[in-house]
Amino acid sequence: MFDSCKTNNPAAWRFTLRFIVLSLLYGLFSVLSAAGLLLWHPTGIVIWLLAVLPAIPIAMAVLVTGRYMNEEKDDFQRAVLVQALLGGIGATLVITTVWGFLENYAHFHRLDILFLWPIYLVFVAIAYYIVKAKYR
Amino acid sequence: MDCTTTSPAARRYLRRFLVTMLLYVVFIVLAVSVFVHYRPTGPLAWLLAVLPALAIILQIAAYGLYLAEETDEFQKNLAVQSMVWGIGATLSVTVTWGFLENFVQLRHMDLFLVYPLFCGLSGIAYGLVGRRYR
Repeated sequence: MFDSCKTNNPAAWRFTLRFIVLSLLYGLFSVLSAAGLLLWHPTGIVIWLLAVLPAIPIAMAVLVTGRYMNEEKDDFQRAVLVQALLGGIGATLVITTVWGFLENYAHFHRLDILFLWPIYLVFVAIAYYIVKAKYR
Repeated sequence: MDCTTTSPAARRYLRRFLVTMLLYVVFIVLAVSVFVHYRPTGPLAWLLAVLPALAIILQIAAYGLYLAEETDEFQKNLAVQSMVWGIGATLSVTVTWGFLENFVQLRHMDLFLVYPLFCGLSGIAYGLVGRRYR
């Protein structure tokens, strides 16, 4: 999946392409949302609509991941992805819990909650390579 | 993975889940009380903050074990889908909250709420995904 540049697996290719498009959309929507909230000073429901905008590509990324799991015929690849997702989720939850305690009780620097998505992606990628290396 | 299941893997997972959840609650109460009463600093503060995370690691390991032990492909698929939907919904909520927090001065989301949020949303996702196949 993450090394789909070297693969001739069509499902992995489709997943990577979709993921790149969604990442670009996420960037675009984030800029739009931030600019809208900062410059137009919207009120009421528009605030919520603008704040939800960057979450749309994230929700779509979930759909794309689910679709890849259905399309992927190689059971090994699917198992590696599931383990990588578990690793990414575990690491993200551990970091937020530890940081949350330090933030609340040890006056630790505030972690911007917007970083959760990139943190999750980085840890899924790290876990993916660790799991792959385990089977090599 | 519901309580009426006959799958031995699911029963084992439920037992492990309950034990680790209990551990999580005990560790949270312990960490909060020590932080509030003794106001530790340095490595002790770090150790206490890591304590509830240990239970989370065990819970994720229990989930991984369940996925490895479950022989029913349908149940396994259901568990994976609910996990993926759970994390997707959690990240969608945190991104939306993050934008509101940064640009409309919504109060800061307590970071240790992310884990219960993920558990709750994964549970809802499990129910919804299971219903789709009924």
